[in-house]
Amino acid sequence: MARFLFTLLPLIGHLNPALAVAATLLERGHQVAWAVHTAEIGASLPEGAHVYTLASGPAAPASPPVRGLRSVQLFFEDYAFPLAERALPDLVAAVQDFRPDVMAVDCQMVAGAIAARRLGVPWGSLACTSAAILKAAPPVHAWIAAQHEALQRRCLPLPAATAPWPDLSPHRVVVFSIDALVGRRHERFDAPFAFVGPMQAVGRRPVAFPWDWLRADAPTLLVTLGTVSRDLETRFFEVVLEALAGMPAVQAVMVAPQRLAAQAPPNVLVQSFVPQPELLARVDGVVCHAGHNTVCEALLRGLPLVVSPIRDDQPVIARQVVDAGAGLFLRHGKATPAAAREAIERVLGSTALREGARRLAQQLQAAPGRAGAADALAALVA
Amino acid sequence: MTDDDSTRNAILAQVVRQIRATIDEDWLWDLAIGPTTRFNDDLEIESIEFLTITEAVQAHYGARIDIVGWLSDKTLQELIHLNVGDLVDRVATTLARR
Repeated sequence: MARFLFTLLPLIGHLNPALAVAATLLERGHQVAWAVHTAEIGASLPEGAHVYTLASGPAAPASPPVRGLRSVQLFFEDYAFPLAERALPDLVAAVQDFRPDVMAVDCQMVAGAIAARRLGVPWGSLACTSAAILKAAPPVHAWIAAQHEALQRRCLPLPAATAPWPDLSPHRVVVFSIDALVGRRHERFDAPFAFVGPMQAVGRRPVAFPWDWLRADAPTLLVTLGTVSRDLETRFFEVVLEALAGMPAVQAVMVAPQRLAAQAPPNVLVQSFVPQPELLARVDGVVCHAGHNTVCEALLRGLPLVVSPIRDDQPVIARQVVDAGAGLFLRHGKATPAAAREAIERVLGSTALREGARRLAQQLQAAPGRAGAADALAALVA
Repeated sequence: MTDDDSTRNAILAQVVRQIRATIDEDWLWDLAIGPTTRFNDDLEIESIEFLTITEAVQAHYGARIDIVGWLSDKTLQELIHLNVGDLVDRVATTLARR
């Protein structure tokens, strides 16, 4: 049996797929350890997990509420790269102590790739967002690549050992999406990809939800902006609330700050937390920020989406949904109640979008899933 | 008004026309678009939309506008703050070089 060390950014969206893969490896009798920022995500690790704590890095890139390209710059400049440099000594110590046969490294946990190469450990990349395997516009790419090279020059003993950005594993890159959804809009980097599809949730804590509130006979919508953006600003939520106030036949669950409940029309239930997988099994459409996990989980169930991307990789994922014929784009900071209403009506009413989403659902359900991801990592054991 | 100004105004009108054709959304109908309108912050432009707009401008004025070459010289900061006037300048200076 082999030893696997997982390392990733301390973000729930990066932890959840890794948990599913790790659980599969454990079921097969392998040993798993985690080198993570326990202050941020320790509470979400399984009980009894073998954990190495990394020195806390900068705070998660939640504020200030920036959008678009500027958020991409801040993600790397203020977050991913400083975090990598800070975490590297602890990560190297963890690898030396645990002596893994294979490291499973979040694509955006740059320190993981550096540690694996420095210590000569076989490693696989985990692409928690399919945007990580796609080429950005040349100026964006050049800027990130220069930062990455500077980091490696500081952290690797020999300049000859520097790798181009992104530092995708030359052995295996596990992508939690499918070829058909990633599409051909953006050129892909050259790497040995394994498209395994989204991971089904494992070990998530039960979340209470007033299921009686939902009527069986009404078209139902889930509105969510994910965990990072939920509390940053409420304009978008207010616009959607106004749109839904004019659509009494539709019922909606909105994942938003509880204070918005006061201005919600009777057909909207505002909840600050929801059991998302169970809710997705009950709804007919989703309005979201095009977070990678939410999009894949919704499409896995054949749900068409209104995608309203805010930051980071979300515009890329949103475009994938639209290109695949499974959703409509709504400009986040500019959406009006009229535009939101039109998009919601079309997403709930369009046969073409529903069929587009169902086509993807069939392919997502046929993807190798967590067993395939575990196979890909296990194949790297020397 | 100098010839230079009238050329610039014509180019600006052409760029604005392409923006409105590409982003046909209610919030933009009543919004004035000028040289200081920023693609990212003010229009929340999608990369694919920006491509559509610049390709249309290039198709109108000719390949020597070389939008791809122009953009590849930009830094990330310049790209983030790019405004309509920057695109108009690119077209105007290229045309003046004939």
